[in-house]
Amino acid sequence: MSVVLRAVLGTAVLALAACNAPSDTPRAAVTSITVGQQLATDQNLRRAIDQMPRTLDPTLLTDIPAQRITDDLFEGLTTLAEDGSIAPGIAHSWETSADGLIWTFHLREARWSNGDPVTAQDFVYAWRRTVNPHTGAEYAQSLAPIRDALAITEGKLPPERLAATALDARTLRVELNAPTPYLLALLTGNFMQPLHRASIEKWGDDWIRPEHMVSNGPFTLQETVIGNRIVLRKNPRYWAADTVRITQVTWYPLDRAEQNSRYLAGDLHIAESFSAEQYGWLKSQLGDQVVTAPYLGTFMIGLHMQKPPFANNRALRRALTLAVDREILTRRVRQGLYPPAWTLVPPLPGYDSPAPEWASWSDEQRHAEARRLYAEAGYSKGKPLRVDLTYPTDSDNRQNYEAVAAMWRVNLGAEVRIYNEEFRVTQQNRRLHLLQMFHFAWIGDYPDPYTFLQLFQTGFGINDGVNSNPRYDALLNAANAEADNARRYQLFREAEQLLDEDAPYIPLYFYASRHLIKPYLKGWQTNILDRNLSRYMYLLQHQGQ
Amino acid sequence: MATFLLRRLLIAIPTLLIIATLAFVLLRVTPGGPFDGDKPMIPEIRRSIEARYHLDQPLWQQYLRYLGDLAHGDLGPSFQYRNTSVNELIAQGLPVDIAIGGSALLLALLLGCAIGMLAAVRRNTWLDRLGMSIAMLGISLPVFVIAPVLILVFAIQLRWLPPGDWVAGSWRHMLLPVIALAFPYLASIARLMRASTLEVLASPWIRAARARGLPTHTILLKHALRPALLPVIAFLGPAFAGVVTGSIIIETVFGLPGIGRYFITGALNRDYTVVMGVTVLYGALIIVFNLLADLCQAWLDPRVRLR
Repeated sequence: MSVVLRAVLGTAVLALAACNAPSDTPRAAVTSITVGQQLATDQNLRRAIDQMPRTLDPTLLTDIPAQRITDDLFEGLTTLAEDGSIAPGIAHSWETSADGLIWTFHLREARWSNGDPVTAQDFVYAWRRTVNPHTGAEYAQSLAPIRDALAITEGKLPPERLAATALDARTLRVELNAPTPYLLALLTGNFMQPLHRASIEKWGDDWIRPEHMVSNGPFTLQETVIGNRIVLRKNPRYWAADTVRITQVTWYPLDRAEQNSRYLAGDLHIAESFSAEQYGWLKSQLGDQVVTAPYLGTFMIGLHMQKPPFANNRALRRALTLAVDREILTRRVRQGLYPPAWTLVPPLPGYDSPAPEWASWSDEQRHAEARRLYAEAGYSKGKPLRVDLTYPTDSDNRQNYEAVAAMWRVNLGAEVRIYNEEFRVTQQNRRLHLLQMFHFAWIGDYPDPYTFLQLFQTGFGINDGVNSNPRYDALLNAANAEADNARRYQLFREAEQLLDEDAPYIPLYFYASRHLIKPYLKGWQTNILDRNLSRYMYLLQHQGQ
Repeated sequence: MATFLLRRLLIAIPTLLIIATLAFVLLRVTPGGPFDGDKPMIPEIRRSIEARYHLDQPLWQQYLRYLGDLAHGDLGPSFQYRNTSVNELIAQGLPVDIAIGGSALLLALLLGCAIGMLAAVRRNTWLDRLGMSIAMLGISLPVFVIAPVLILVFAIQLRWLPPGDWVAGSWRHMLLPVIALAFPYLASIARLMRASTLEVLASPWIRAARARGLPTHTILLKHALRPALLPVIAFLGPAFAGVVTGSIIIETVFGLPGIGRYFITGALNRDYTVVMGVTVLYGALIIVFNLLADLCQAWLDPRVRLR
């Protein structure tokens, strides 16, 4: 869906709705819903996703909509509990060696949707398939913590060498390169889910079609209509099927404007997202139905570290980061939807980034220091900084960058021109290191600081600003070899401090997940990964939509 | 007649070849590839994916392969939807577009002709002005305004009709998209019909019919309708291609699984095969419907000679 078109349509629907009802008087038609205590007789859940998934193959998927749906179809060794914490999945228990390098998982008695038992070999098969370069799994690197996984993906070793062994049908041994405290979180991921070998071998690529797919999660695939819907049915063979109340989940791929209108018309129980510009209006209309929560993502600006004007100019980079008024950006421009970011890593359970000193300064103090650094970098009113900032076309992005460019103009006198390009064009230009200053947003893969800190590591695949600092790399390597998580987090904090001093990027704000949820839908999980399994949800009796 | 048909069909082949070639070239010179995502990709993986879609071959080989497949009616595998061929996508989406587009055009034709004729017969009365005001509104209001307004009023406020989705055979789901899509065409047809009816009514044979004392409705339906329809028929050919291909906005606003959506997402995701396939299909549709319109015109008007 074209971003421009989406923006136009979104604005049209909501602007028209807004004309109709002044924002201070909530509209009865939308909000008058009475919720009962009893389960509704119809447990048919209707959820939206932002686009049609490219594939539902857990090994090959690349997009969030596909993750959402495969979370309902498959279950790994671990899974997410109702509160969003990590819970036993197909593995009921596990133990780890003293050095944290060998993990042994004990599998429960679970079955595939066709009645076959789920075995340790199913995991070994799936993981070997993921790391095998011939499979073409774009995210094969997610398995990198397992010993030899990376070498196999790079074609240096055969897939059989992967250090995951089925000791018997219900015992799986996994050997790691380094202690990986986030392993249990990683195991909930789609790339780690087991696969039914016989059906993949029989049907080849077509195994993901509804008539062929065998899955082991709470739901099975019923129907796929590209561009319209994906229907899942409750899997009676799922090991915890008696706790699943939803009988059918229908996923609708819709863009944001459509999601809003369908939700308002009572056609959807959950809208996957809405445009950040509409946050204030929706909140005034729908109140608590607008559900936002911290999300594992950072919105920032990347700087090219090997090209002028940012190469070897730490003072300039710091001047720019200090001159951004993040409170204004998040409160005024983004209406309080997102928390301001002074660091790279969003707040995680057990990990807090070291806030830089300047984060607590007054605006005047911060601006004065920014101007001092700007002058130190060799710029002045007569000789202002002139640079281009490139971002992918999107109305939310445009508002952000217009605001930030204005702050730089007012606070420093810098002339930053903002350019928008189509997403794939920016993406390619970034990969080719053609951009001086660019939009940079990152959603973490697992709840651990490393998923963010790796972005500035020398040689990392999308270190698009070509940052390289041997001290920073050494800190990350030391942290990754560390078995004690407290010590490891300390090393990450030091790396973040270094990042603040060096300023190879400009943090702006942390993300928040944003959904619209009907008040009679219960069992929604709020967690930092924004993964919400349908298996915990249920619908209560209600009046009104 | 047969020579005419044969010649038009023969001309269609090089036209389609040019369309296919242009689509191929334009897509390949566009920056950004189908597998440039957010995340880093190991070179071995990229190679394996590119080999799967023959993207590792020289461009001329890819072009020849594409043309060869096209000649056999095979539009290739979609890049964005794995395990789905472009033929499958079209087979799934085209019936939706034809159902919506066909109904919209039928509605536009019936109402547009009625309004146009009425306006011409009651020229310069309030009926004429009302009809032409509606037509002016339809011509000037873009679909992306009409469609959200319809959703807002009939789906969100009144809750009479669903705000979107596609359920095969459900008229309730079709009503709003059909009205939104029909409106601009209805407006054009009404204006065309009014103008041509006025012209026909001033012609000698109508005066002769009046002189013979025929009742007005007989004059209108038996003598004026057929010649008055000619410009409308000429308009219908491109219009049908237009409603089928141009319903992209309608599909988006109402969440319909038509090919226009695949086309848009395909272009954004650099799904080369989908974009090329849909472009060639659209090209073929336009050629076919223009041809049909010419044939219809000849059938309606004996003065038209097809050469």
